[in-house]
Amino acid sequence: MAAKPKRKGFFSRLRLPVAKEYVYPSSRTGMFLVGGVGAALVLGLFAFNAFVQEGALVSNGPLSSNHASFGGDCQACHTPFQAVTDDKCSVCHEKYGDEIGVHTFESHYLYRSADFTRVVPQPNEPACFNCHNEHVGRDAPITEVADALCLQCHEYGSFNDGHPEFQAVADSLEDPNLKFPHTLHVNEVSDREDLVDIEQACLYCHNADDEGKNFQPISFDQHCDTCHLTTSVATPWIPVASGNTVGVLTLESLRSDGRPGSLWTYYTNPGEFQNRGETVRKTPVYHQDRWVIANLQRLRRLLYPSTGLADLLLASGDVDTREARALYDEALATLRTYAEELRSSPERTVQRELSQVEDLLAVVERRLRDPYAPLDETKFAVSLAERDTSLTDDEVDVYESVVAQLTQPCQQCHYVENATIVRAKADQRTLIRAEFDHSAHITTTRCLDCHNAIPIREFNATESTPPPAQDHAGIQNLPSIESCFTCHDNGKAANTCVTCHLFHPDKSQHSNLLLYLE
Amino acid sequence: MKPTVPKKAYRPRASRAAASGVLKTAGQTTKRSGATRWANTWVQSPNWFFGFWIVVALCLVIYTLNALFGQVHPGSAWGLSYGIAATILFVAVFLYALRRRLMKVRALGRSWVYLQVHVYGGALFLLLVFMHTGFQWPQGVLTWWLWALSIWVVGSGLLGIVLQKWLPTLLSSGLTTEVHYDRIPDLVSEIRRRAEALVEDADYAIRTFYRDDLAPSLTGPETHLAYYLGASDVNGRSRQFDALGAMLPAEERAKLSELREMVQTKQEIDAHYTLQKALRGWLLLHVPVSVVLIVLLGFHIFSVWYW
Repeated sequence: MAAKPKRKGFFSRLRLPVAKEYVYPSSRTGMFLVGGVGAALVLGLFAFNAFVQEGALVSNGPLSSNHASFGGDCQACHTPFQAVTDDKCSVCHEKYGDEIGVHTFESHYLYRSADFTRVVPQPNEPACFNCHNEHVGRDAPITEVADALCLQCHEYGSFNDGHPEFQAVADSLEDPNLKFPHTLHVNEVSDREDLVDIEQACLYCHNADDEGKNFQPISFDQHCDTCHLTTSVATPWIPVASGNTVGVLTLESLRSDGRPGSLWTYYTNPGEFQNRGETVRKTPVYHQDRWVIANLQRLRRLLYPSTGLADLLLASGDVDTREARALYDEALATLRTYAEELRSSPERTVQRELSQVEDLLAVVERRLRDPYAPLDETKFAVSLAERDTSLTDDEVDVYESVVAQLTQPCQQCHYVENATIVRAKADQRTLIRAEFDHSAHITTTRCLDCHNAIPIREFNATESTPPPAQDHAGIQNLPSIESCFTCHDNGKAANTCVTCHLFHPDKSQHSNLLLYLE
Repeated sequence: MKPTVPKKAYRPRASRAAASGVLKTAGQTTKRSGATRWANTWVQSPNWFFGFWIVVALCLVIYTLNALFGQVHPGSAWGLSYGIAATILFVAVFLYALRRRLMKVRALGRSWVYLQVHVYGGALFLLLVFMHTGFQWPQGVLTWWLWALSIWVVGSGLLGIVLQKWLPTLLSSGLTTEVHYDRIPDLVSEIRRRAEALVEDADYAIRTFYRDDLAPSLTGPETHLAYYLGASDVNGRSRQFDALGAMLPAEERAKLSELREMVQTKQEIDAHYTLQKALRGWLLLHVPVSVVLIVLLGFHIFSVWYW
C-alpha cells in the first residue's frame, strides 16, 4: 500500500498546500560579502593612492594656491602620527634659524610691543595649522583667521563688544614735546595757499606714504621751514665762556677744541656770528644748528658730567620703548661721522684704530638689523639725578640761564629740559597694535569727521584760534574706537580681528630676505 | 536553493514587553489611545522620538554657538568633536547588525532597543557628519565619498523605514492571501500545474486563451509597479474572462471560473512578490554600502591620525 502523502493543510480559496516544514528566510550573508568585496576594492584603491601614489584621493581637499606646489608631496608638511608640525612650516618660512622667528608666538608677543618680558610661552598657543586651515580649496584665504582663535587669549566678545579703547586714546598719549596749535596752522596754511577745502590744509603737512595707508614723518625742511627760522632769526647776545664766566664757546674756540664731530666748524661761515664785548650772537639760526647743539652739549656735560650716550643725539632720548631703534640708529650715524672725520688723519696709529672702530661699528650695525635685538632707550636719557653735585644752585641757575638764551629760537616750538632739546615725535603713527589704511577710508569719510577732538572747523570759519587748553600738540586729535563702530559693525563693514590686526610682524619684516636664507 | 531544515525549529520568543501587552513585535506597536493615526503608524516609541528631536535641537544649538564663537572646520576642536561623536554613534548603530546575528544571546539586551539606536542614532549620525563638515561640500575625494556614502546609507535606511511602515499595510489591507516570500516560486508552480491539468480537457477556446494569454504569466512570479498603488488586476484579465465566459457553455464556464480563481490568486501572489521583494530588496541598497562606509570611515580615522 502506497504511503499517503502527509499534508498539514491548505490555505486560500484555491486551497494551496501550506509548507510541509518550517521555511527559513534566505540568507543575507551575500549582502555583507558584496559590501565586503566592494569595501576591500575601495580601501585598496585609497591605500594604494595614499602610500604608493601622491595621495591626491586621500587628501582632504586641494591645497591653497600658496602651497599648491606641495600637492604631490604629503611628507613636505605631514609627519606620520604627528600631524603638521611647526617645524615643517619653518623649513620654508623661517630659514634663518633665529630662535624667535617671524612666525612664532614669541614674535607675536614682541611685535609692536618690543617688550621682551612678554615673551613667555602660554599654555594655549596653537600650532600654525590651527589658524591656517589647509586642504579647503585653491582659493581658500588661509590668512583670514577666525576671530575665535584670537579670542582664545584675548578675552573679549568682539570688536563691537568689549574691545579695549585704542591705547593712544585710552592712555591719553599726549605729545607735549612740541608747541603746536593745530587751528592756528590750519588757518595760516589756508590763507597763504588760498585753500578752499580746509582738509587740504591737513594734507599740506600730513603727507601720505606711497601706499596711502599712513603718513610720512613731519619734516622741518619740508613743512616748517617756510615760516620758521627765517634769516632774520637770531640768538640773543650770549656771554662767551672765559675763565670763570659761564657762557658759550665761539666758533674759533670750538674749532680749536678739536672734539669729535667738530669738522663743521671749518666750513661754517664766521660771518654768521656777531661779537659785542664778551658776548656773541648767531644769525641766522638753522634747524638743528650745529653751533647751538655743540654749545648745548658742552653746557650739558658741565651740568651733567655722566650723561654718556646722550651726546650722540641731537635731541633727548624721550621715545617709547618700541621706537628705541631710532635712537640707536642716530647714535650710530653720529659715531660714523666722527670716524669719517678721522679718515684724513696721517698718523698710522689713528688709521689702525680707526679700522678697528669701523669693524666694531659694522658689528653693532649688524646686530641692530635683528628686529628683536634688545634695546634700551634709557641709556640716552639725561636725568636730574646725574647733575654735578659740586655745583651750587646759583651756579646751576647761571648755566640754565645761558642754556635758555642759547635755545631761545628753538623754544618757539621745542621744549628744553636738562639742557637738552626734548625730542619731538615726528612719526605720526599712533595706532600701536593695529593697522589703519587712511586711503581706504578717505573715499567715504572726511579727515575731520573722525579727527574731531580739536574743533578746527569751527575756529577756521571764524579765523580765530581756540584757547591752548582746547588745541595744543598734546591733544592727539585721535578718534575713539566708538567712531569706528559707525561703519564697522556686524552686517556692515568688516569687524573681524584680522581686519585691523596682524598676528605676525608686518610686511617690512616679511620683506627682509635675510630671514629666508639658509 | 532549497532551505535546509534546522535541527530545532525556530520559535519566536515573546518579549517581556509583549507579554505585558504593551508591544506585539518589534515592528508592530500597540495603538496608543489619544495619539494621532500618523503617530500610531510612524512612531514606535514617543520617548525615543521626542528624545531624538531634543538631541537634534541640542546639536543645532551647539553648532550655532560654534559658528558664533568658534571655528567651523573639521580640524578644529569643535569639528573633531562632531566627527568623534559621529563615529561613536556609527559604531553604536552598527551594533544592531551584530545583535541580529546573536539573537539567542539574551544578555545583550532587547533587540528593540538596538533597533531604536539604529534608526535614531543613524539619523543623528548624518547630522553630526554635516556638522563635522560645516554643512559644506567636502573638498577631498575620500571625504566626498564618506559624505556621499553617509547620505546614501542613512537615506536608504529611512527608505527602509518608510517601506516597512507602508508596505505591510498595503499587503494586509488589499489582498486576501498571505504568502511566505520564499515559498512563492513553489506556489506559482503549483498553480501552473493545476491550471495546465484543468485546461487539458477544456474547450478549445479556453485552451487557446490559456496558451496565448495566461500561460506566460504563470511561468513564474512577476513584478508590477501597479501593486504599489493597490491595484490587483494589473493585466485587465477580468474583462477577458468576462468576454470569454459569455461565449462558453455552462459546463465550460465552470472550468473558466476555476481558472479565473487561479489567475487571481497568482496575481495576489505577484503582489506579495512585488511588495515583499521591496521589503527585502531595500537592504541591498543599505547593507553593502554600509559595509563600505564602515571600512572607509576606519581609513579616514587612520589617515587623520597618521597625517
